[in-house]
Amino acid sequence: MLTIAIPKGGLLPEAIALLQDIGLDFSAFLDKKNRQLQITDPTGTAQALLVRTHDVPVYVEYGQAQLGFAGYDVLREKKPDVANLLDLKFGGCRLSVAVPKSSPYKNPRQLPPNCRVASKFVNCAKDYFRELDLPIEVIPLHGSVELGPITGMSEAIVDLVSTGNTLRENNLEEVKVLFYSSVRLIAHPTSYRANRYDMVTLIRKLEQVL
Amino acid sequence: MIHQPPAGARDLLPLEVAQKAWINDNLQKVFQRWGYQRIVTSTLEWLDTLTAGGAIDRSKVIQLQTAESQSLGLRPELTASIARAAVTRMAENTFPQRLCYRANVFRQPPRGDHGKQMEFYQAGVELLFAGGMLADAEILLLLAETLAAVGLDDWQLILGEAALGRSLLEPFPAEQRDQVRLAIAHLDRVGLQTLALTDELKAYALKIFDLRGKPEDVLAQVSLFDLSNQAKTSVKDLKALFELVQNSVEKPLPIVLDLTLIQTFDYYTGIVFEAVNFSNNQSHVLGQGGRYDKLLGLYHPQREDHPGIGFCLNLEELHTCLLQSPHLPHQTQENAWLVIAKAATDQQAAFKYAEKLRQGDEVIRVELELGGRSPAQIYEYARRSNIARLVWIDSTETNIEILEAE
Repeated sequence: MLTIAIPKGGLLPEAIALLQDIGLDFSAFLDKKNRQLQITDPTGTAQALLVRTHDVPVYVEYGQAQLGFAGYDVLREKKPDVANLLDLKFGGCRLSVAVPKSSPYKNPRQLPPNCRVASKFVNCAKDYFRELDLPIEVIPLHGSVELGPITGMSEAIVDLVSTGNTLRENNLEEVKVLFYSSVRLIAHPTSYRANRYDMVTLIRKLEQVL
Repeated sequence: MIHQPPAGARDLLPLEVAQKAWINDNLQKVFQRWGYQRIVTSTLEWLDTLTAGGAIDRSKVIQLQTAESQSLGLRPELTASIARAAVTRMAENTFPQRLCYRANVFRQPPRGDHGKQMEFYQAGVELLFAGGMLADAEILLLLAETLAAVGLDDWQLILGEAALGRSLLEPFPAEQRDQVRLAIAHLDRVGLQTLALTDELKAYALKIFDLRGKPEDVLAQVSLFDLSNQAKTSVKDLKALFELVQNSVEKPLPIVLDLTLIQTFDYYTGIVFEAVNFSNNQSHVLGQGGRYDKLLGLYHPQREDHPGIGFCLNLEELHTCLLQSPHLPHQTQENAWLVIAKAATDQQAAFKYAEKLRQGDEVIRVELELGGRSPAQIYEYARRSNIARLVWIDSTETNIEILEAE
């Protein structure tokens, strides 16, 4: 059966609403009492896997899910071998460099060489500073990245920004946008080429309701 | 210290060896019936030999240094080695050359991996010094027959055409062509949409992106494009190839024509394909291959180009797909005998009896009991080793005992 990997958390309601628009109902995932991680839609045409945002491309790359909803930020960070088919136009955010408001550095280029940058997006951060030819040490964190500069562990952070409220409340300032991100429809390349479970029809339907 | 194989490497134990040998023996039998002769090339090659074709990146080769600091690599595939041998040591031979192989290959895992497989087993063929549709058809039909020979029916052939793929990209300005090619090769439709192209070229790029499906449908679609003469010839040749292949067998090949199956390097020059299977909720690339008419020239002493085409099958993938197959051997000791001398004076007789058994017409396995075990321990050993027949020998009689299978 066609399997779709969908992300837990903030992106889930919109992902489910979009799938409902094309006749696939996985709203059971929204039920607070739900503990199931794999459900089949009531018509029996597809099943969905509920996974962490960073794990969506993993299930799709290995082919356990033929389709997935993955943020462009995650795709840039993990560079998985998946087909990138549609910009689903939700989950908009940007990956940015931020520093404390009191910081003397107002531009990433001004950061001192060998300074420390905290981030969940280790590869994106490394790639960006390599392009600047600025040697830095990335400190990998899994969350609350803002604490890096607040505690003095790092001079800057590279983190996702959607409204900018979290940055403001923690006295941080966005000084450079690395890229803008939104949710993409990704596919397992071989399954897509072979049009497994006639996924092309489903992709066309999704494109029409966008 | 505990000695272990490196992460990504492994040992194959007897049952797995027996199963993979069964698969590979059957593949090789088909290769031989089609006139292919086995060649064995060196496991080690100069790094430059391995990477000359452009399809293999140095970072994917497991490298070794000689004492003189020259770079050697463990072969990541066989085609480079066979091409090298064919245009040098076999240059005097008759044409075409039909060569086949069974060998292990090695690949350096990407950085930051967590124990990806490094050693793989492959079986494959190369049809050298032969261009044209008949050779292409032979390779596709041979691939189908080898898969049928091991009992794999449920597979699909995803087939592209490298030269046609390249011609389709010609309308793009030279400075953007590589980006378009990269996006199409990696199925990055969103990336294609965000390239700085004119609306007309963008629409054309998206049309190329969808050139995939039933061969006759895709060929009909691409025929509507404003094609170069070379591309028109490629389309006509593909049409003729499919007709020839599908009408030469009782069961048509399950072909998906995918004109976006292109590489970001110029290695393949004609058809290029992957045989895939989707069983047990897994996707398996059973094998891959294609036509490479510019490769032999790279190894030829006078740089003469000669055509070539081939494919290789991935033994691990075939094995995984066939695990449930009733044809695969499921125990190592079939038809096994154990000869036991009851006393020291019976040992010569035991060796003689065992030898007599081994001389029979039927292939059987005969072991000698090496002593030091009670009859109860011998029965236990026979049961656990799938030995069905015990021969008890003493000076007066030879008693053959057949154990019931459990």
